[in-house]
Amino acid sequence: MKAADAIAALLAHRTDEIAFCALGMAAGEWWRQSRSDADFYLHGAMGFSASMALGFALSLPQAKIWAINSDGSLCMNLGCLLTEVEQAPRNLKHFVLDNKVYETVGAVPMVNRGRTDYCALARAAGFASARSLQTVEEIDAVMPEIIAADGPCMTVLEVQSDGGAGQPEAMDYEGPEIKYRFGRSIEKRFGVSVFGKQGY
Amino acid sequence: MSIFNDLMTHLHKCDIKLAASLPDDWVAPLIGKCEADDDIRHVPVAREAEAIAICSGAFFAGVNSVAIMGTTGLLTCTGELATLNLRHQVPVFIMASQRGSVDDHRVYQEVQGRRTLDVLKAYDFPYMVIDRPEELPRIPEAYEWGRLQKRPFVLLLTRRLLKGAPA
Repeated sequence: MKAADAIAALLAHRTDEIAFCALGMAAGEWWRQSRSDADFYLHGAMGFSASMALGFALSLPQAKIWAINSDGSLCMNLGCLLTEVEQAPRNLKHFVLDNKVYETVGAVPMVNRGRTDYCALARAAGFASARSLQTVEEIDAVMPEIIAADGPCMTVLEVQSDGGAGQPEAMDYEGPEIKYRFGRSIEKRFGVSVFGKQGY
Repeated sequence: MSIFNDLMTHLHKCDIKLAASLPDDWVAPLIGKCEADDDIRHVPVAREAEAIAICSGAFFAGVNSVAIMGTTGLLTCTGELATLNLRHQVPVFIMASQRGSVDDHRVYQEVQGRRTLDVLKAYDFPYMVIDRPEELPRIPEAYEWGRLQKRPFVLLLTRRLLKGAPA
């Protein structure tokens, strides 16, 4: 399946979950399909959207969080798996789009050339639940179980590279506006104060 | 240990509810205090940049947080501090032991001592050096100032503060 198909399948099962998306293909495709400014799109710090998701999940336990990660980003911050397991957030589900390349720079092959088993890495880090899904049908079949279960859990979505040809449509807003749109959506939805009385 | 109790008192005055850390030996007792504190969620991490991102996530939940590390770890985070916190204007409050100072004679800390302040200035990260216990009441105002700056703010803790004057 294509990354776009996998993300479409996740979005079809989403109800009130909040996504923290890794920069590049994951963020671009999630935005292209969802047009949601109630999700966070990290435009830098490759590898660390999953850690942002963890910090948010620990701080707002009544929220349901999906970390939408990618294989390249995960490999930039493998330690996040240890931290996530140690903290054991029940409200965090971790997804990794695994296309085995750095898609947005022209589908340059990753260092492991597809030989690494990210589910095995997650299990070795201590994840009790880690599964690899190959098709949209498999996603549709297991998403109800993933959503119903407590986190943390790891789901690797095996997707095909677009060969670097299909760059996701660029978002029409960026850095600080991503912060304010997302933060305001959290304030409105959960009644918390993100920016304070003076708006910072 | 009273200095670490005093530091905790001022972290509570900042309403800190989450502390993410990777230890340097000078701040290890402070990290232990955070771990033992019922009002603070302590998150040990495997790399300092994780602490930066975890605190950045906590920001969006309206939770005050602190990232605790040494200057060696701080220097490993500059890429993430620039492309997450500067790029998105997300504040993060960092407490770091100021290693490599004139009274720190660990040879592997000497570059950190010579270059850290210049690195912070180059990135335009605001910072404050806390050298004496009587300066601790500045921590809450520094925390708020860092938030309104919408950038990383680094509170550097000296050897004299954390370990006392050399004999």
